[in-house]
Amino acid sequence: MATPGQLTFARRLGPAARLAIWVLVGVALVVTDSRVGLMDVLKRGFSGVLAPIERVARAPFDFAAEIGGFLVRHRALQEANARLAQERATLYAEFYAKRDLEQENARLRELLGLARRPGRTAIAASILYQGQDWFARRVTIDRGAASGLVAGLPVVDAQGLVGQLTRVYSTTSEVTLVTHNDQLTPVMVERTGERALAAGGTQADRLELRFVPVHADVVPGDRLLTSGIDGVYPPGLPVARVLRVTRPQGSPYARIECVPLAGLARDRAVLVLRPSP
Amino acid sequence: MSAHHDVIAQASGRIGPIIASFAFGLVAMVLPWSGVALALRPDFLLLALLFWALHRPSRVGLGVGFGLGVIADLLDGVVLGQHALAYVVGVYAVQYVRLRLLQFDPLRQTAQMLPVFLLVQFIVVLVGWLAAGPPAGIGVFLPALSGTLLWYVVAQGLVYWYGKNALSRR
Repeated sequence: MATPGQLTFARRLGPAARLAIWVLVGVALVVTDSRVGLMDVLKRGFSGVLAPIERVARAPFDFAAEIGGFLVRHRALQEANARLAQERATLYAEFYAKRDLEQENARLRELLGLARRPGRTAIAASILYQGQDWFARRVTIDRGAASGLVAGLPVVDAQGLVGQLTRVYSTTSEVTLVTHNDQLTPVMVERTGERALAAGGTQADRLELRFVPVHADVVPGDRLLTSGIDGVYPPGLPVARVLRVTRPQGSPYARIECVPLAGLARDRAVLVLRPSP
Repeated sequence: MSAHHDVIAQASGRIGPIIASFAFGLVAMVLPWSGVALALRPDFLLLALLFWALHRPSRVGLGVGFGLGVIADLLDGVVLGQHALAYVVGVYAVQYVRLRLLQFDPLRQTAQMLPVFLLVQFIVVLVGWLAAGPPAGIGVFLPALSGTLLWYVVAQGLVYWYGKNALSRR
């Protein structure tokens, strides 16, 4: 018989009860985070600890890449060098033509009394890692607030627009790729100048044009450039190429699938475009 | 069972290997994976967690699962609590069928771990879906499959290392 003041049964909580408690804590965490954005705050604090760990984890890979770079064949180097020299020549020609046009443009704008467009400086960054989350297509790069980056800046590679900085920590930042579902990019069709909105598609590594009328003049193969009307992206950056245009019956909008031009899955290095002061 | 087995099977066994395996799981998460390797990458942290939940239940339980889940969220998550919830449920599932799991040979044990891995992945996907948006495709379950495969490799390795009774030691 139990005497008063003595516990009749003193045992630990059952596993199911403990599971229920942890699940409740977890759900509370999810709800708090989606309401308050707790993750951003914690991650910012955490990134100071995390950055050195990432660097150490990556060290063997960097070392291997260095060794691989050292052992590359002489012939391949020569070929690459010849190709680069040729590329450089053509780029220089284009560069001079562009400078000429820029000056002419500046004069014309002055004549018209328009404000000059601000220039951009490019900051090189390399991709640290790509998170395995299937909802937010993002990558982490090795430059952050210390290099003068702020959230919202466009990120490009040699082929085209990669995405936009969304979270900036002290030495790293997160890039949301153009193929992300909620990432809207104002674009125009290079051939016709028609403006549209590109967004991440339902398929991975695809973009789609949203709200384009059924009879719009868009054909497969058209190149899409940033239109620049948002003030975020400089105009004229290549974004994607139209892959397929279908016109579903009973819908006022055409379904336009595009392939991003930037090497989103292959890139090791990218450029962040910052307005020059 | 030899004396050695009894030593390592003690409930209060050494904590070093546990911490080392968790550290490995976390480091594997921040390596620069890409392409097919990224799509197929098993969740090493989850594998280590479930392994110790099976073999060292007194050390690694729901609380450890939750803590590791929060760290995984900070490294690689859409929303805080996403992996934490999934890991807790995973550890519970292993605890629930623990005595049965320990009686099977690696192949059968792995077959019973597949639903656990799928369940954990399902919760990760579900919470991410609710918090952020629809996932990229059916490929999101690939890590559960590769994780199961890796479980088989680990279980088989354990048998080779410790002999036939390795899995049933308690």
